[in-house]
Amino acid sequence: MKKTLSIAAILLFALAAFSQNKFEQPVLITSAGQSADVKLVQLLAKRQAIEGETKVMAKETDMDGVKTLIIVPGFSSKGLGSAGISQEDEMNRVKELVKTAQGKNIPIVMMHIGGKSRRGGQSDGFCEIIAENCKAMIVVKQGNEDGFFTDIAKKNNIQILEVEKISDAAVPLKELFK
Amino acid sequence: MAVAGTIAAIEFNSMHRMEQLFPSKGLTKIAKLSDYHKDLKGTEGDSDVYFYDSGKEGATVLIAGGTHPNESAGYLAAIVILENLKIESGRIIIIPMLNQSAFTCTDPMEALPDFFEIKTEKGVRKFRSGSRATNPLHQWPDPLVYSQYPSGQKYSGADSRNLNRCYPGKENGTHTEQVAFSIIQLLTQEKIDLAFDLHEAAPEIPIVKAIVYHAKSEGLAMNAILDLEMDGLSYTPELSPPNFHGLSHREWGDNTDVLPILMETANPIQGRLRGKTNADLILSGYCPNYKIAKETGALKIAYDDEGESLESRVGRHINGFVAILNAYNSEYPEKAIEISGLPTYNELKENKIGKYLN
Repeated sequence: MKKTLSIAAILLFALAAFSQNKFEQPVLITSAGQSADVKLVQLLAKRQAIEGETKVMAKETDMDGVKTLIIVPGFSSKGLGSAGISQEDEMNRVKELVKTAQGKNIPIVMMHIGGKSRRGGQSDGFCEIIAENCKAMIVVKQGNEDGFFTDIAKKNNIQILEVEKISDAAVPLKELFK
Repeated sequence: MAVAGTIAAIEFNSMHRMEQLFPSKGLTKIAKLSDYHKDLKGTEGDSDVYFYDSGKEGATVLIAGGTHPNESAGYLAAIVILENLKIESGRIIIIPMLNQSAFTCTDPMEALPDFFEIKTEKGVRKFRSGSRATNPLHQWPDPLVYSQYPSGQKYSGADSRNLNRCYPGKENGTHTEQVAFSIIQLLTQEKIDLAFDLHEAAPEIPIVKAIVYHAKSEGLAMNAILDLEMDGLSYTPELSPPNFHGLSHREWGDNTDVLPILMETANPIQGRLRGKTNADLILSGYCPNYKIAKETGALKIAYDDEGESLESRVGRHINGFVAILNAYNSEYPEKAIEISGLPTYNELKENKIGKYLN
Protein backbone atom coordinates (compact mmCIF):
# COMPACT_ATOMS: atom_id res chain seq x y z
CA MET A 1 0.00 0.00 0.00
CA LYS A 2 2.80 2.37 1.02
CA LYS A 3 4.68 1.46 -2.17
CA THR A 4 1.58 2.05 -4.34
CA LEU A 5 1.00 5.45 -2.74
CA SER A 6 4.65 6.39 -3.27
CA ILE A 7 4.49 5.41 -6.96
CA ALA A 8 1.23 7.35 -7.39
CA ALA A 9 2.80 10.40 -5.74
CA ILE A 10 5.85 10.21 -8.03
CA LEU A 11 3.62 9.87 -11.09
CA LEU A 12 1.48 12.83 -10.04
CA PHE A 13 4.61 14.90 -9.47
CA ALA A 14 5.99 13.86 -12.87
CA LEU A 15 2.67 14.67 -14.52
CA ALA A 16 2.47 18.07 -12.82
CA ALA A 17 6.02 18.92 -13.85
CA PHE A 18 5.43 17.61 -17.35
CA SER A 19 2.27 19.58 -18.05
CA GLN A 20 3.60 22.97 -16.93
CA ASN A 21 3.72 24.21 -20.52
CA LYS A 22 0.18 24.23 -21.82
CA PHE A 23 -0.78 23.89 -25.47
CA GLU A 24 -3.80 25.18 -27.30
CA GLN A 25 -6.62 23.48 -29.20
CA PRO A 26 -7.69 22.64 -31.89
CA VAL A 27 -5.08 20.05 -32.70
CA LEU A 28 -4.13 18.29 -35.89
CA ILE A 29 -3.04 14.69 -35.36
CA THR A 30 -0.89 13.09 -38.02
CA SER A 31 1.56 10.25 -38.57
CA ALA A 32 5.24 10.23 -39.41
CA GLY A 33 5.89 6.87 -41.04
CA GLN A 34 2.24 5.86 -41.55
CA SER A 35 1.94 3.37 -38.71
CA ALA A 36 -1.60 2.75 -37.48
CA ASP A 37 -0.52 4.03 -34.04
CA VAL A 38 -1.89 7.39 -35.17
CA LYS A 39 -5.38 5.90 -35.01
CA LEU A 40 -4.85 4.87 -31.40
CA VAL A 41 -3.77 8.42 -30.54
CA GLN A 42 -6.86 9.68 -32.36
CA LEU A 43 -8.97 7.43 -30.12
CA LEU A 44 -7.16 8.60 -26.97
CA ALA A 45 -7.70 12.24 -27.97
CA LYS A 46 -11.36 11.56 -28.71
CA ARG A 47 -11.86 9.87 -25.34
CA GLN A 48 -10.22 12.89 -23.66
CA ALA A 49 -12.43 15.30 -25.64
CA ILE A 50 -9.47 17.07 -27.23
CA GLU A 51 -10.74 19.28 -30.01
CA GLY A 52 -9.31 18.76 -33.50
CA GLU A 53 -9.01 16.31 -36.33
CA THR A 54 -6.78 13.54 -37.63
CA LYS A 55 -5.25 13.45 -41.09
CA VAL A 56 -2.76 10.64 -41.48
CA MET A 57 -1.28 12.34 -44.56
CA ALA A 58 -1.59 15.94 -43.33
CA LYS A 59 0.06 18.59 -45.50
CA GLU A 60 0.99 22.26 -45.04
CA THR A 61 -2.42 23.26 -46.39
CA ASP A 62 -4.15 21.42 -43.52
CA MET A 63 -2.52 23.65 -40.90
CA ASP A 64 -4.88 26.64 -41.14
CA GLY A 65 -6.44 27.31 -37.74
CA VAL A 66 -4.44 24.56 -36.08
CA LYS A 67 -2.96 25.52 -32.68
CA THR A 68 -0.97 22.36 -31.93
CA LEU A 69 0.35 19.58 -34.14
CA ILE A 70 0.43 16.11 -32.59
CA ILE A 71 2.72 13.77 -34.52
CA VAL A 72 2.87 10.02 -34.01
CA PRO A 73 6.13 8.60 -35.40
CA GLY A 74 6.54 4.97 -36.47
CA PHE A 75 7.26 3.22 -39.74
CA SER A 76 4.83 0.72 -41.24
CA SER A 77 5.28 -0.86 -44.65
CA LYS A 78 1.58 -1.78 -44.64
CA GLY A 79 0.73 1.83 -43.78
CA LEU A 80 2.89 3.23 -46.56
CA GLY A 81 1.30 0.68 -48.89
CA SER A 82 -2.15 1.87 -47.82
CA ALA A 83 -1.18 5.46 -48.49
CA GLY A 84 0.38 4.49 -51.83
CA ILE A 85 3.64 6.30 -51.14
CA SER A 86 7.30 5.46 -50.64
CA GLN A 87 9.34 5.95 -47.48
CA GLU A 88 11.12 8.83 -49.18
CA ASP A 89 7.80 10.52 -50.06
CA GLU A 90 6.72 10.18 -46.45
CA MET A 91 9.95 11.63 -45.11
CA ASN A 92 9.64 14.61 -47.46
CA ARG A 93 6.04 15.17 -46.32
CA VAL A 94 7.08 15.04 -42.68
CA LYS A 95 10.00 17.44 -43.18
CA GLU A 96 7.72 19.93 -44.96
CA LEU A 97 5.13 19.63 -42.22
CA VAL A 98 7.68 20.30 -39.48
CA LYS A 99 9.05 23.27 -41.44
CA THR A 100 5.55 24.73 -41.91
CA ALA A 101 4.68 24.25 -38.23
CA GLN A 102 7.84 26.04 -37.18
CA GLY A 103 7.20 28.83 -39.69
CA LYS A 104 3.70 29.35 -38.27
CA ASN A 105 4.81 28.96 -34.62
CA ILE A 106 2.61 25.90 -34.20
CA PRO A 107 4.10 23.73 -31.45
CA ILE A 108 4.58 20.01 -32.07
CA VAL A 109 3.75 17.36 -29.48
CA MET A 110 5.23 13.93 -30.18
CA MET A 111 3.51 10.76 -29.07
CA HIS A 112 5.50 7.56 -29.52
CA ILE A 113 3.25 4.73 -28.40
CA GLY A 114 4.31 1.79 -30.56
CA GLY A 115 7.07 0.42 -28.32
CA LYS A 116 9.81 -1.66 -29.89
CA SER A 117 7.75 -2.37 -33.01
CA ARG A 118 8.13 1.28 -33.98
CA ARG A 119 11.79 1.74 -33.13
CA GLY A 120 15.05 1.01 -34.89
CA GLY A 121 15.48 0.44 -38.60
CA GLN A 122 13.16 2.51 -40.72
CA SER A 123 11.27 3.98 -37.74
CA ASP A 124 14.17 5.83 -36.13
CA GLY A 125 14.56 8.39 -38.91
CA PHE A 126 10.97 9.49 -38.32
CA CYS A 127 11.33 9.30 -34.52
CA GLU A 128 14.45 11.47 -34.61
CA ILE A 129 13.13 14.30 -36.75
CA ILE A 130 9.93 14.59 -34.72
CA ALA A 131 11.61 14.24 -31.32
CA GLU A 132 14.21 16.91 -32.15
CA ASN A 133 11.57 19.38 -33.29
CA CYS A 134 8.82 18.91 -30.71
CA LYS A 135 8.02 20.93 -27.59
CA ALA A 136 6.80 17.96 -25.54
CA MET A 137 6.91 14.21 -25.92
CA ILE A 138 4.98 11.35 -24.41
CA VAL A 139 6.59 7.97 -24.95
CA VAL A 140 5.59 4.46 -24.00
CA LYS A 141 8.46 3.07 -21.94
CA GLN A 142 9.15 0.01 -24.12
CA GLY A 143 10.08 2.27 -27.04
CA ASN A 144 12.61 4.17 -24.93
CA GLU A 145 14.49 1.32 -23.26
CA ASP A 146 17.73 2.50 -24.87
CA GLY A 147 17.14 6.09 -23.74
CA PHE A 148 16.81 7.29 -27.35
CA PHE A 149 14.07 9.81 -26.59
CA THR A 150 15.43 10.76 -23.17
CA ASP A 151 18.78 11.69 -24.73
CA ILE A 152 17.13 13.85 -27.40
CA ALA A 153 14.90 15.49 -24.78
CA LYS A 154 17.88 16.32 -22.54
CA LYS A 155 19.99 17.63 -25.39
CA ASN A 156 17.22 19.90 -26.69
CA ASN A 157 15.61 20.80 -23.35
CA ILE A 158 12.28 19.23 -24.29
CA GLN A 159 9.76 18.09 -21.70
CA ILE A 160 9.31 14.31 -21.80
CA LEU A 161 6.98 11.94 -19.99
CA GLU A 162 7.47 8.20 -20.09
CA VAL A 163 4.40 6.04 -19.50
CA GLU A 164 4.08 2.30 -19.00
CA LYS A 165 1.19 1.69 -21.38
CA ILE A 166 -0.61 3.40 -24.25
CA SER A 167 -3.71 3.92 -22.13
CA ASP A 168 -1.56 5.68 -19.49
CA ALA A 169 -0.83 8.38 -22.08
CA ALA A 170 -4.45 9.56 -22.16
CA VAL A 171 -4.52 11.74 -19.02
CA PRO A 172 -1.08 13.35 -19.59
CA LEU A 173 -2.16 14.16 -23.14
CA LYS A 174 -5.27 15.91 -21.84
CA GLU A 175 -3.22 17.71 -19.18
CA LEU A 176 -1.00 19.22 -21.86
CA PHE A 177 -3.88 21.30 -23.17
CA LYS A 178 -5.51 24.43 -21.77
CA MET B 1 15.95 -50.30 -47.99
CA ALA B 2 12.47 -51.87 -48.03
CA VAL B 3 12.11 -51.30 -44.28
CA ALA B 4 13.14 -47.65 -44.61
CA GLY B 5 10.71 -47.23 -47.51
CA THR B 6 7.87 -48.79 -45.51
CA ILE B 7 8.55 -46.53 -42.49
CA ALA B 8 8.64 -43.47 -44.75
CA ALA B 9 5.36 -44.52 -46.39
CA ILE B 10 3.66 -45.00 -43.01
CA GLU B 11 4.96 -41.62 -41.84
CA PHE B 12 3.82 -39.98 -45.10
CA ASN B 13 0.33 -41.49 -44.86
CA SER B 14 -0.05 -40.55 -41.22
CA MET B 15 -0.02 -36.89 -42.26
CA HIS B 16 -3.32 -37.55 -44.06
CA ARG B 17 -5.05 -38.75 -40.89
CA MET B 18 -7.42 -36.08 -39.55
CA GLU B 19 -7.32 -35.20 -35.87
CA GLN B 20 -10.47 -36.07 -33.96
CA LEU B 21 -11.99 -32.93 -32.46
CA PHE B 22 -14.43 -32.83 -29.53
CA PRO B 23 -16.78 -29.86 -29.93
CA SER B 24 -18.49 -28.35 -26.89
CA LYS B 25 -22.17 -29.05 -26.21
CA GLY B 26 -23.13 -25.82 -27.96
CA LEU B 27 -22.47 -27.37 -31.38
CA THR B 28 -25.60 -27.36 -33.55
CA LYS B 29 -24.37 -28.51 -36.97
CA ILE B 30 -21.31 -29.63 -38.92
CA ALA B 31 -21.22 -28.61 -42.58
CA LYS B 32 -18.52 -28.85 -45.26
CA LEU B 33 -16.87 -26.28 -47.49
CA SER B 34 -18.36 -28.25 -50.40
CA ASP B 35 -21.78 -27.07 -49.20
CA TYR B 36 -20.65 -23.66 -50.50
CA HIS B 37 -18.75 -24.88 -53.56
CA LYS B 38 -19.75 -28.36 -54.70
CA ASP B 39 -16.59 -29.02 -56.71
CA LEU B 40 -14.68 -29.40 -53.44
CA LYS B 41 -16.69 -32.49 -52.48
CA GLY B 42 -14.43 -35.48 -51.96
CA THR B 43 -11.25 -33.42 -52.28
CA GLU B 44 -8.64 -32.53 -49.65
CA GLY B 45 -10.09 -29.03 -49.67
CA ASP B 46 -13.44 -30.06 -48.21
CA SER B 47 -12.86 -28.84 -44.63
CA ASP B 48 -15.36 -29.21 -41.80
CA VAL B 49 -17.41 -26.16 -40.80
CA TYR B 50 -18.76 -26.14 -37.23
CA PHE B 51 -21.90 -24.17 -36.32
CA TYR B 52 -22.82 -22.86 -32.87
CA ASP B 53 -26.27 -21.31 -33.10
CA SER B 54 -27.81 -19.88 -29.93
CA GLY B 55 -31.18 -19.60 -31.63
CA LYS B 56 -31.33 -16.03 -30.35
CA GLU B 57 -30.76 -12.83 -32.30
CA GLY B 58 -27.23 -11.52 -32.64
CA ALA B 59 -24.33 -11.26 -35.03
CA THR B 60 -22.78 -14.18 -36.93
CA VAL B 61 -19.04 -14.53 -36.45
CA LEU B 62 -16.54 -16.71 -38.32
CA ILE B 63 -13.33 -17.98 -36.71
CA ALA B 64 -10.83 -19.48 -39.15
CA GLY B 65 -7.70 -21.34 -38.08
CA GLY B 66 -5.35 -23.36 -40.22
CA THR B 67 -5.03 -21.01 -43.15
CA HIS B 68 -1.34 -21.78 -42.63
CA PRO B 69 -1.06 -25.13 -40.79
CA ASN B 70 2.57 -24.46 -39.82
CA GLU B 71 1.18 -21.71 -37.56
CA SER B 72 0.05 -23.98 -34.73
CA ALA B 73 -1.45 -21.39 -32.38
CA GLY B 74 -3.77 -20.19 -35.16
CA TYR B 75 -5.62 -23.48 -35.43
CA LEU B 76 -5.13 -24.55 -31.80
CA ALA B 77 -6.89 -21.34 -30.71
CA ALA B 78 -9.78 -22.22 -33.04
CA ILE B 79 -9.86 -25.76 -31.58
CA VAL B 80 -9.80 -24.51 -27.96
CA ILE B 81 -12.71 -22.20 -28.80
CA LEU B 82 -14.53 -25.07 -30.56
CA GLU B 83 -14.14 -27.39 -27.56
CA ASN B 84 -15.12 -24.85 -24.85
CA LEU B 85 -17.57 -22.39 -26.40
CA LYS B 86 -20.92 -21.60 -24.83
CA ILE B 87 -23.10 -19.23 -26.79
CA GLU B 88 -26.00 -17.25 -25.38
CA SER B 89 -26.92 -15.04 -28.35
CA GLY B 90 -25.92 -14.87 -32.01
CA ARG B 91 -24.09 -17.49 -34.01
CA ILE B 92 -20.47 -18.59 -34.30
CA ILE B 93 -19.04 -20.62 -37.17
CA ILE B 94 -15.61 -22.20 -36.74
CA ILE B 95 -13.35 -23.68 -39.41
CA PRO B 96 -10.34 -24.89 -37.43
CA MET B 97 -8.49 -26.42 -40.39
CA LEU B 98 -9.16 -24.10 -43.25
CA ASN B 99 -6.54 -25.30 -45.74
CA GLN B 100 -6.89 -29.01 -45.06
CA SER B 101 -4.51 -29.99 -47.85
CA ALA B 102 -1.70 -28.00 -46.23
CA PHE B 103 -2.02 -30.14 -43.09
CA THR B 104 -0.83 -33.17 -45.09
CA CYS B 105 2.78 -32.08 -45.64
CA THR B 106 5.47 -29.87 -44.17
CA ASP B 107 7.53 -27.16 -45.86
CA PRO B 108 10.57 -28.58 -47.66
CA MET B 109 14.11 -27.80 -46.40
CA GLU B 110 12.85 -26.56 -43.03
CA ALA B 111 13.36 -29.72 -40.89
CA LEU B 112 10.01 -29.07 -39.24
CA PRO B 113 8.35 -31.78 -37.14
CA ASP B 114 5.27 -33.53 -38.57
CA PHE B 115 3.44 -33.68 -35.24
CA PHE B 116 3.34 -32.37 -31.71
CA GLU B 117 1.59 -33.82 -28.69
CA ILE B 118 -0.40 -32.20 -25.89
CA LYS B 119 -1.20 -33.92 -22.59
CA THR B 120 -4.84 -33.58 -21.61
CA GLU B 121 -6.79 -34.86 -18.63
CA LYS B 122 -8.03 -37.77 -20.76
CA GLY B 123 -4.75 -38.67 -22.43
CA VAL B 124 -2.34 -37.41 -25.05
CA ARG B 125 -3.63 -35.72 -28.20
CA LYS B 126 -1.52 -35.57 -31.32
CA PHE B 127 -1.74 -32.68 -33.78
CA ARG B 128 -0.18 -32.27 -37.18
CA SER B 129 2.14 -29.37 -37.88
CA GLY B 130 1.64 -28.79 -41.57
CA SER B 131 2.81 -26.50 -44.30
CA ARG B 132 2.23 -22.84 -45.14
CA ALA B 133 0.84 -23.87 -48.52
CA THR B 134 -1.36 -26.45 -50.20
CA ASN B 135 0.31 -29.86 -50.67
CA PRO B 136 1.89 -30.01 -54.16
CA LEU B 137 0.20 -33.41 -54.51
CA HIS B 138 -3.07 -31.51 -54.72
CA GLN B 139 -1.89 -28.59 -56.84
CA TRP B 140 1.08 -28.87 -59.14
CA PRO B 141 3.15 -27.49 -60.81
CA ASP B 142 3.67 -23.97 -59.50
CA PRO B 143 3.88 -21.24 -62.12
CA LEU B 144 7.14 -19.31 -62.31
CA VAL B 145 5.20 -16.21 -61.35
CA TYR B 146 1.77 -16.32 -59.71
CA SER B 147 -0.65 -13.78 -61.11
CA GLN B 148 -3.25 -13.20 -58.42
CA TYR B 149 -6.88 -13.41 -59.57
CA PRO B 150 -8.54 -11.04 -60.33
CA SER B 151 -6.07 -8.24 -59.40
CA GLY B 152 -3.23 -9.50 -61.58
CA GLN B 153 -0.80 -8.70 -58.76
CA LYS B 154 2.40 -10.71 -59.12
CA TYR B 155 3.70 -13.04 -56.42
CA SER B 156 6.26 -15.84 -56.34
CA GLY B 157 5.05 -19.05 -57.99
CA ALA B 158 4.79 -20.90 -54.66
CA ASP B 159 2.26 -18.33 -53.46
CA SER B 160 -0.24 -19.83 -55.90
CA ARG B 161 -0.65 -22.50 -53.18
CA ASN B 162 -0.86 -19.97 -50.34
CA LEU B 163 -4.53 -19.66 -49.40
CA ASN B 164 -3.88 -16.20 -47.98
CA ARG B 165 -2.88 -14.90 -51.40
CA CYS B 166 -5.79 -16.51 -53.29
CA TYR B 167 -8.89 -14.62 -52.10
CA PRO B 168 -11.49 -13.95 -53.44
CA GLY B 169 -10.77 -17.20 -55.27
CA LYS B 170 -12.07 -18.58 -58.51
CA GLU B 171 -14.96 -21.00 -59.07
CA ASN B 172 -13.09 -23.07 -61.66
CA GLY B 173 -9.56 -22.15 -60.57
CA THR B 174 -6.76 -24.09 -58.92
CA HIS B 175 -7.39 -26.17 -55.82
CA THR B 176 -6.38 -23.27 -53.53
CA GLU B 177 -8.40 -20.72 -55.49
CA GLN B 178 -11.44 -22.98 -55.18
CA VAL B 179 -11.01 -23.26 -51.40
CA ALA B 180 -10.74 -19.44 -51.25
CA PHE B 181 -13.86 -19.18 -53.44
CA SER B 182 -15.80 -21.45 -51.06
CA ILE B 183 -14.89 -19.22 -48.09
CA ILE B 184 -16.17 -16.13 -49.87
CA GLN B 185 -19.39 -18.01 -50.67
CA LEU B 186 -19.72 -19.03 -47.02
CA LEU B 187 -19.13 -15.47 -45.80
CA THR B 188 -21.85 -14.23 -48.16
CA GLN B 189 -24.42 -17.01 -47.79
CA GLU B 190 -24.17 -17.19 -44.01
CA LYS B 191 -24.31 -13.37 -43.76
CA ILE B 192 -21.20 -13.23 -41.58
CA ASP B 193 -20.81 -9.91 -39.74
CA LEU B 194 -17.34 -10.30 -38.25
CA ALA B 195 -14.59 -12.73 -39.26
CA PHE B 196 -11.26 -13.72 -37.74
CA ASP B 197 -8.29 -15.31 -39.50
CA LEU B 198 -5.79 -16.58 -36.91
CA HIS B 199 -2.10 -16.65 -37.84
CA GLU B 200 1.47 -16.70 -36.51
CA ALA B 201 4.75 -15.33 -37.82
CA ALA B 202 8.47 -15.28 -37.11
CA PRO B 203 9.41 -13.15 -34.07
CA GLU B 204 11.97 -11.15 -36.07
CA ILE B 205 9.47 -9.63 -38.48
CA PRO B 206 7.74 -6.39 -37.44
CA ILE B 207 4.17 -7.56 -38.03
CA VAL B 208 3.79 -9.95 -35.09
CA LYS B 209 1.79 -9.62 -31.90
CA ALA B 210 -0.40 -7.62 -34.24
CA ILE B 211 -3.99 -7.07 -35.22
CA VAL B 212 -4.30 -6.45 -38.94
CA TYR B 213 -7.58 -4.81 -39.82
CA HIS B 214 -9.52 -3.77 -42.90
CA ALA B 215 -10.33 -0.04 -42.84
CA LYS B 216 -13.95 -0.82 -42.03
CA SER B 217 -12.89 -2.81 -38.92
CA GLU B 218 -10.71 0.05 -37.65
CA GLY B 219 -12.93 1.14 -34.76
CA LEU B 220 -13.18 -2.41 -33.45
CA ALA B 221 -9.43 -2.98 -33.70
CA MET B 222 -8.48 0.27 -31.94
CA ASN B 223 -10.94 -0.09 -29.07
CA ALA B 224 -9.91 -3.72 -28.59
CA ILE B 225 -6.19 -2.87 -28.61
CA LEU B 226 -6.65 -0.29 -25.85
CA ASP B 227 -8.77 -2.69 -23.79
CA LEU B 228 -6.28 -5.52 -24.25
CA GLU B 229 -3.47 -3.25 -23.18
CA MET B 230 -5.32 -2.45 -19.94
CA ASP B 231 -5.18 -6.21 -19.30
CA GLY B 232 -1.43 -6.21 -19.91
CA LEU B 233 -1.38 -7.54 -23.50
CA SER B 234 0.03 -5.28 -26.16
CA TYR B 235 -0.91 -5.62 -29.84
CA THR B 236 0.42 -3.59 -32.75
CA PRO B 237 -2.28 -2.20 -35.06
CA GLU B 238 -1.68 -2.68 -38.79
CA LEU B 239 -4.00 -1.37 -41.49
CA SER B 240 -4.60 -3.69 -44.44
CA PRO B 241 -3.16 -1.96 -47.53
CA PRO B 242 -5.79 -1.68 -50.29
CA ASN B 243 -3.25 -2.66 -52.94
CA PHE B 244 -2.05 -5.87 -51.24
CA HIS B 245 -4.36 -8.38 -52.87
CA GLY B 246 -5.37 -11.93 -52.12
CA LEU B 247 -5.24 -11.68 -48.33
CA SER B 248 -8.18 -12.35 -46.03
CA HIS B 249 -7.97 -8.98 -44.25
CA ARG B 250 -8.23 -7.31 -47.65
CA GLU B 251 -10.50 -9.46 -49.82
CA TRP B 252 -12.99 -10.66 -47.20
CA GLY B 253 -13.69 -7.00 -46.53
CA ASP B 254 -13.72 -5.88 -50.17
CA ASN B 255 -15.85 -8.74 -51.51
CA THR B 256 -18.38 -9.25 -48.73
CA ASP B 257 -20.13 -7.31 -45.94
CA VAL B 258 -17.78 -8.83 -43.35
CA LEU B 259 -15.62 -6.85 -40.91
CA PRO B 260 -12.35 -8.80 -41.21
CA ILE B 261 -9.64 -9.11 -38.57
CA LEU B 262 -6.36 -11.04 -38.87
CA MET B 263 -4.27 -11.69 -35.78
CA GLU B 264 -0.60 -12.67 -35.59
CA THR B 265 1.35 -14.14 -32.69
CA ALA B 266 5.13 -14.68 -32.55
CA ASN B 267 6.18 -18.29 -33.18
CA PRO B 268 9.94 -18.97 -32.96
CA ILE B 269 9.75 -22.19 -35.02
CA GLN B 270 8.94 -20.02 -38.03
CA GLY B 271 11.95 -17.78 -37.53
CA ARG B 272 15.23 -17.73 -39.43
CA LEU B 273 17.15 -17.34 -36.18
CA ARG B 274 15.81 -20.52 -34.62
CA GLY B 275 18.13 -23.29 -33.47
CA LYS B 276 17.03 -26.83 -32.68
CA THR B 277 13.82 -27.40 -34.59
CA ASN B 278 11.49 -29.91 -33.00
CA ALA B 279 8.02 -30.40 -31.51
CA ASP B 280 9.19 -28.99 -28.20
CA LEU B 281 9.90 -25.65 -29.88
CA ILE B 282 6.26 -25.51 -31.03
CA LEU B 283 5.08 -26.14 -27.46
CA SER B 284 7.55 -24.12 -25.40
CA GLY B 285 8.32 -21.42 -27.93
CA TYR B 286 11.69 -21.24 -26.25
CA CYS B 287 14.87 -20.92 -28.25
CA PRO B 288 18.00 -19.37 -26.68
CA ASN B 289 18.85 -17.72 -30.00
CA TYR B 290 15.89 -15.40 -29.59
CA LYS B 291 17.05 -14.35 -26.13
CA ILE B 292 20.37 -13.38 -27.73
CA ALA B 293 18.52 -11.61 -30.54
CA LYS B 294 16.56 -9.65 -27.97
CA GLU B 295 19.72 -8.67 -26.10
CA THR B 296 21.36 -7.45 -29.30
CA GLY B 297 18.28 -5.45 -30.27
CA ALA B 298 17.47 -7.58 -33.34
CA LEU B 299 13.88 -8.18 -32.24
CA LYS B 300 11.07 -5.69 -32.74
CA ILE B 301 8.76 -7.26 -30.19
CA ALA B 302 8.78 -7.77 -26.42
CA TYR B 303 10.04 -11.36 -26.46
CA ASP B 304 9.39 -13.30 -23.27
CA ASP B 305 12.70 -14.70 -21.95
CA GLU B 306 10.87 -17.88 -21.01
CA GLY B 307 9.74 -18.29 -24.62
CA GLU B 308 6.55 -17.66 -26.54
CA SER B 309 4.74 -20.79 -25.36
CA LEU B 310 1.80 -22.32 -27.19
CA GLU B 311 -0.32 -21.32 -24.19
CA SER B 312 0.65 -17.65 -24.45
CA ARG B 313 0.17 -17.63 -28.24
CA VAL B 314 -3.24 -19.33 -28.09
CA GLY B 315 -4.15 -17.10 -25.13
CA ARG B 316 -3.32 -13.96 -27.10
CA HIS B 317 -5.60 -15.11 -29.93
CA ILE B 318 -8.45 -15.92 -27.56
CA ASN B 319 -8.15 -12.69 -25.55
CA GLY B 320 -7.89 -10.74 -28.82
CA PHE B 321 -10.99 -12.48 -30.17
CA VAL B 322 -12.99 -11.73 -27.02
CA ALA B 323 -11.83 -8.08 -26.90
CA ILE B 324 -12.89 -7.51 -30.49
CA LEU B 325 -16.20 -9.21 -29.83
CA ASN B 326 -16.72 -6.84 -26.87
CA ALA B 327 -15.83 -3.87 -29.07
CA TYR B 328 -18.33 -5.15 -31.67
CA ASN B 329 -21.06 -5.45 -29.01
CA SER B 330 -20.43 -1.86 -27.90
CA GLU B 331 -20.63 -0.57 -31.46
CA TYR B 332 -23.56 -2.74 -32.57
CA PRO B 333 -25.60 -3.40 -29.39
CA GLU B 334 -28.62 -4.42 -31.45
CA LYS B 335 -26.61 -7.37 -32.81
CA ALA B 336 -24.71 -8.22 -29.63
CA ILE B 337 -23.25 -11.71 -29.49
CA GLU B 338 -22.78 -13.21 -26.06
CA ILE B 339 -20.41 -16.06 -25.33
CA SER B 340 -18.74 -17.69 -22.36
CA GLY B 341 -16.68 -20.73 -21.44
CA LEU B 342 -13.41 -19.69 -23.06
CA PRO B 343 -10.16 -19.79 -21.09
CA THR B 344 -8.32 -16.51 -20.73
CA TYR B 345 -4.65 -15.84 -21.51
CA ASN B 346 -3.80 -16.04 -17.80
CA GLU B 347 -5.76 -19.26 -17.29
CA LEU B 348 -4.06 -20.90 -20.26
CA LYS B 349 -0.64 -19.88 -18.95
CA GLU B 350 -1.45 -21.11 -15.47
CA ASN B 351 -3.28 -24.35 -16.23
CA LYS B 352 -1.68 -25.31 -19.59
CA ILE B 353 -3.57 -25.87 -22.79
CA GLY B 354 -4.32 -29.57 -22.18
CA LYS B 355 -6.84 -28.62 -19.50
CA TYR B 356 -8.95 -26.96 -22.19
CA LEU B 357 -8.89 -29.80 -24.71
CA ASN B 358 -11.66 -32.40 -24.28
